[in-house]
Amino acid sequence: MNTQKVISGFFIIMAMTLNFGFFYGDIDKFAHHSPYELFVAIVVNLIATILKLGDKTQVGSVLLATSLVADIQLLAAAIVWGVSLYVLSGGIQNYAQVIVSLSGGALLANIVSVIIFVGDTLKSKR
Amino acid sequence: MRTPLLVIILTFSITIIGLVLIPGVDGNGNPYHMSFLDAVYFVSFMASTIGFGEVPYEFTYAQRLWVLFSIYISVIGWFYAIGALVALIQDKNLILELDVAKFRKKIKNLKEHFVIILGYNHATKELINRLNRDGKRIVVLDKSQEKIDELELEHFMPEVYGLRANVETPEVLRLAGIKKRNCKAVITLFDNDYKNTKIALLVKLLNNKVNIIVKSSTKEQTQHLKNLGIKNIIDPFHLIANRFYLAVSAPHLWILEQMLFGHDLYMHEHESLPNGKYVVCGYGRMGKALQESLNKSNTDCSFIDLKSAKHKAQKNSAIYGDAEDYQSLIDAGVEDAAAIIAATKDDLINLTILLTAKKINPDIYTIGRENTIDDVTIFQSAKIDRVYILEEIISEFAHRIISQPLTHQFLQIIHKKDDEWGKELIDKLKQKTCYNPEIFELRVVKSQAYALTEYLKNGNSINLGLLSRDLSDRKQRAKIHILMVKNRKEEITILPDENYCVKVSDRFLIAASEEARENFELLVNNVNEFEYITTGKELKFGLIRQLLEKN
Repeated sequence: MNTQKVISGFFIIMAMTLNFGFFYGDIDKFAHHSPYELFVAIVVNLIATILKLGDKTQVGSVLLATSLVADIQLLAAAIVWGVSLYVLSGGIQNYAQVIVSLSGGALLANIVSVIIFVGDTLKSKR
Repeated sequence: MRTPLLVIILTFSITIIGLVLIPGVDGNGNPYHMSFLDAVYFVSFMASTIGFGEVPYEFTYAQRLWVLFSIYISVIGWFYAIGALVALIQDKNLILELDVAKFRKKIKNLKEHFVIILGYNHATKELINRLNRDGKRIVVLDKSQEKIDELELEHFMPEVYGLRANVETPEVLRLAGIKKRNCKAVITLFDNDYKNTKIALLVKLLNNKVNIIVKSSTKEQTQHLKNLGIKNIIDPFHLIANRFYLAVSAPHLWILEQMLFGHDLYMHEHESLPNGKYVVCGYGRMGKALQESLNKSNTDCSFIDLKSAKHKAQKNSAIYGDAEDYQSLIDAGVEDAAAIIAATKDDLINLTILLTAKKINPDIYTIGRENTIDDVTIFQSAKIDRVYILEEIISEFAHRIISQPLTHQFLQIIHKKDDEWGKELIDKLKQKTCYNPEIFELRVVKSQAYALTEYLKNGNSINLGLLSRDLSDRKQRAKIHILMVKNRKEEITILPDENYCVKVSDRFLIAASEEARENFELLVNNVNEFEYITTGKELKFGLIRQLLEKN
């Protein structure tokens, strides 16, 4: 058993599951989308990104790219949330769809990341 | 680099989530939960120890307990991460890596012809100065960072690219752009012959087309390099010995050679070597080379086998001239010798040899070998009759090979001629040009001779006699004399006569007075002047005059 693989696998998959957890639910109902889950999803995504740093292989670079996409989308969602709540006057309800669909984009990136990760693991003979 | 980043993310997220979860009390005493924005804001300024205070409301004791804990973990985490980042930026390997990347980019963007110089020392510095004046681009590699820093402090224009690297590896040579098409020459002038040969071989294998200029200090080495197929070998001792031979036995050829380096067409009184016995101190590489040329010119000579390193170790000083040395000079016959040559590896010893010899025999002609350019002022103030500066000779020749290839070729041709030929040529030059002609090269291409090239491309032909007419009066000859022509097929004509037909891509080596040179350069470039020389008519220029002419 490879401890390194366990840890990175854990964070990569958890980044996807948390992302899905936040995304799942009616797109315009805030009750279905917990800010805590978004926060944890961002943190876990960032950790997953850093774990992917430094891998110089082709697969490693693509993995890092997917993670960066997910990070940017989730951070964008959080920023939209914060700005709509405190700065803009329109009220947060109008922005629910934007926030959730941004996290949906991040989810796709995370799914790609997990597929590559699993594929790479299956290919490995050790 | 992962750990510090992970530490920051973890400490920040733990403290943020704690602040959001712990209930607080707002200004009116109502319970509230901190929002994520407030929590991120608070933690950001807390961890970086900026500390704006408790926002948005004063904290409860429960919150303060959490903040107390948070301060320690996040501030420590923050400083750890920043420290690691700063250490990374200062890491020597990383800096070198970044330098290499920058260097690679510069080489990649270099579009002009360039020259790679290996090793930065007095000789190559002098060479860089000369090449820079010609606007040549240069890349320098040296093993030591100090030398590269020195190079950067010189602020050459155009910029000279330098990199610290081990020059004996093919990787580094490739990095310096040796495989690029616009890399024209590689110059290796190390003191170590073995190193030079190794590099020359490497370069030869990496890029067969590039011009290699190598320093060699013995005959065997030169032969060795010639066998490798290297044409441009600079052996400073051979060059000095050769000059010396010319000065003794073929003064006119000596004058011709010096003329190529900017000397005038007369031999000055202090320059002519005396006849008689020569004493040579030092029987190393230079001593042996001198012996050959002295023997060739049938000059009576004696040698003192003096090794500078051994002398310094034995006498514990770098000065030559105690009672024992005095005696050995007298034994070698300095008292009745015509000239003394100090040819050791040490400048101070050379100088003291000459001064001691002068004490014994005040009329003796002194010749010194100067190893580094730095000592030039000492030798000047010691009033040595003739000084051979090794580094200057090396850089002069390397510069000539790169920037003035025709001059270099002409020099080699001179060496094969006899003194009678030299006398004739000097008389001709004195008569046709002036007593200190300038030597310059010109290629019949658009960028160097616009009018002439256009004229030839239109199917016309012109011979040298017509081309060397005076601009102010075409019936007169200009003070100009063509020394050599090299045509497109690399065929050489020495001293072409007036009927030589000029072709496109010909390269000319020309001797001319200063004024004639300027006029000639104007003539071959300016269409109006060219028209005057070829037809004798002033070309009408200006639109209106051309229209008038037509009607």
